[in-house]
Amino acid sequence: MQCGICGGKSEGSFCELHKAAYDNLLKNYEAWKKSMKVSWTEYLTHIKVNEYAGLWVKEVAQHLLATDSSKQQGDQKAESDK
Amino acid sequence: MATQNVFVLCEKPSTAERIAKALDENGKPQKKETNRVPHYETFRGGKRLVVVAALGHLYTVAPKVTDRNVYPVFEFDWVPRYVAERDARDTEKWVEVIANLSKGAQEFILATDYDIEGATLGYTILKYACGEKDKEAKRMKFSTLTTEELRKSYGELHEHIEFSTIEAGVCRHFLDAMYGINLSRAMTVAAKQYSGKYLTLSTGRVQGPTLKFLVDREKKINTFVPTPFWAIKASVEIDGQVFEVEYEKPEMQSREEAEAVVNACHGKKGKISEIEEKKFHQNPPVPFDLGALQAEAYSFFKYTPRRTSDIAERLYLEALISYPRTSSQKLPSTINNRAILESLANEPKYRSLAQLLLSEKKLVPNEGKGEDPAHPSIYPTGNLPSKALGDPERKIWDLIVRRFMAVFSKPALKQSAKVTITVDGYSFFLHGKQVLEEGWMVFYEPFIRAEDVVLPPLEKGQEIASKEVAVEDKFTKPPARYNPSSLLKKMEDEGIGTKATRAGIIDTLYTRGYVGGERASVSELGLDVTNVLERYCPEIVSISFTRELEKNMEEIQNGKEKKDVVIEKAAVRLEPVLTEMKKHQETMGQELAEAAKKAQMQQRVVGSCLQCGTGKLVIVHSRRTGKRFLGCTGYFKGQCKASFPLPQTGTVKPVGKVCGVCGWPMFQYQTKGKRPWVFCVRPDCPSKEARR
Repeated sequence: MQCGICGGKSEGSFCELHKAAYDNLLKNYEAWKKSMKVSWTEYLTHIKVNEYAGLWVKEVAQHLLATDSSKQQGDQKAESDK
Repeated sequence: MATQNVFVLCEKPSTAERIAKALDENGKPQKKETNRVPHYETFRGGKRLVVVAALGHLYTVAPKVTDRNVYPVFEFDWVPRYVAERDARDTEKWVEVIANLSKGAQEFILATDYDIEGATLGYTILKYACGEKDKEAKRMKFSTLTTEELRKSYGELHEHIEFSTIEAGVCRHFLDAMYGINLSRAMTVAAKQYSGKYLTLSTGRVQGPTLKFLVDREKKINTFVPTPFWAIKASVEIDGQVFEVEYEKPEMQSREEAEAVVNACHGKKGKISEIEEKKFHQNPPVPFDLGALQAEAYSFFKYTPRRTSDIAERLYLEALISYPRTSSQKLPSTINNRAILESLANEPKYRSLAQLLLSEKKLVPNEGKGEDPAHPSIYPTGNLPSKALGDPERKIWDLIVRRFMAVFSKPALKQSAKVTITVDGYSFFLHGKQVLEEGWMVFYEPFIRAEDVVLPPLEKGQEIASKEVAVEDKFTKPPARYNPSSLLKKMEDEGIGTKATRAGIIDTLYTRGYVGGERASVSELGLDVTNVLERYCPEIVSISFTRELEKNMEEIQNGKEKKDVVIEKAAVRLEPVLTEMKKHQETMGQELAEAAKKAQMQQRVVGSCLQCGTGKLVIVHSRRTGKRFLGCTGYFKGQCKASFPLPQTGTVKPVGKVCGVCGWPMFQYQTKGKRPWVFCVRPDCPSKEARR
């Protein structure tokens, strides 16, 4: 399989490096949700432009925002957050 | 009775000249040249000295199997460099001249740098070019190239060359060759088999783990997700002066919590509830070892470790400083520090400072823990430059001189104050710091970083007016990237490489394209290469084995371990790694070749095409016309015709910026001897109206 972002080799949707960035995004969402009270989509939008966010993290955020399935997933996540 | 001939072997032509001058009774040695190789004839104590220079290493360790497509190879031997390296053909005549000049000598003296490399290169020349004279050669040991020290060293010759150091040096050369050649061959052979092209890919015993440090940091930075936190930005006004204060809780996890503090404190006066004052002594810095000099030079002048090392080497060759490749932070009592200071006092800018130290009865340096069996720390010889120094040399010499003076000076007396100001139950800290007695700092100016925050007289219970109190939105930050200086420090801390090789290894990472920029960011090629090595031969990028070998080499130097045992051990560990690489040659080759291709492509990519919006702008060299231009990758797919001419002479490179008027990329054009010119690539850019 190919990474949906860089086209590199992958076993799932992302290559090893983008997968690590995605995992970090998931891991840190709780902290953002608690302190900023943002939905998953809002979170990704913030991360996409944050000066301290890593390049691969920004690429994953951009990719997730641009992917319909991710929007649905995000909305579901936001719903479940409520 | 016939005059006895003494053959003196030096490391470089410049040291040979200096040694010949110092040893000649009249200070006027006769310079001769054979086949454009300089050598000197001098007379001392009734003996005729032939002082000859090497050109650094004249011999190298090479595999017996020279076919670059064959690996693993475990049989290595010393061969003249001109045999093994294409760009070392010039060294052939040096070997010949040295061999011829050594023939008539009755006595042999090795006068190369007194360190592992100097000893090893001298040993190989004495053994192979001079016909096994390594066993009978005597040794000159010196740490500066001053006339006095060189004469003293000649008068107190060591009976033989330092064989245990040489054993360690030889071992290092064999290990580096065994690892470097086998691994690099495995990588290039694999990539060539897949792509049909020869690609320069390399790794090594120290290079692999060093790149891994950078890759690990790069991964942390690029996968970093910042998390928000809040802080209080506050200041107070005392006697018309504004001071920043720090809130007791530097990080808060919610804005509400921070806002509550601001709301409670806004517009209110605070009261000093506590004043803590501390006076303390700060000792002078310790003498420079090479690493500390490199770190300080990077910090003040932004010189890379390699550059500092090269500058220090030139200062050493000019006899202005002692031997710089040292780990020592000591100034032994054998060094006449008083005489050095007296001599430095002849330089107007150091006069008053040197005299201040000379007025002390005793000069006691504040030494560090670092030790080096071969040399003391870096110190000025006391010689003043005979001609004006270039800017970099002048700066480094000044730094070394001031550091030398500072280490003999008194501690500085400093005072710190922490004032607690309470506003409505919330505590803020006001920090003050002040130098009460400058001590050593006077000598080390301008290389002092401390900045005073002098507080006015304050007392407990005093009311303090708040100037500002506001909420600050903050985010956690990723770890900082290494720079060449911090990377060198990391290598030192991890115990890999030597003081002589570390800076060079960092340079290689840049030359190979694995790393770029001042902040040492890892390229995709660097990431991909490390990724492949980690997958197929993790031991190569792991630090533990390299560190173990470094320890073994130290043991060889101390006479506790045998060279052959260490080499054998390393070969036994390397063999299965290479077998594994061979097993995966095809997939590894594909990954490496693709990584190299991607890197080559990326080097040519200047930016995105503004015309089609999907293609990339790349610098193209037309095979048909030989001309270069900037074109869109969409051209080859018939999707876009964007192309721009580039100057056909000189150097053209993208500057990484876009034109502020039209948004197309900017380039820098430079021809030899002319100032660079930055221009927008678009010929009809409106910014060029005025020129037309």
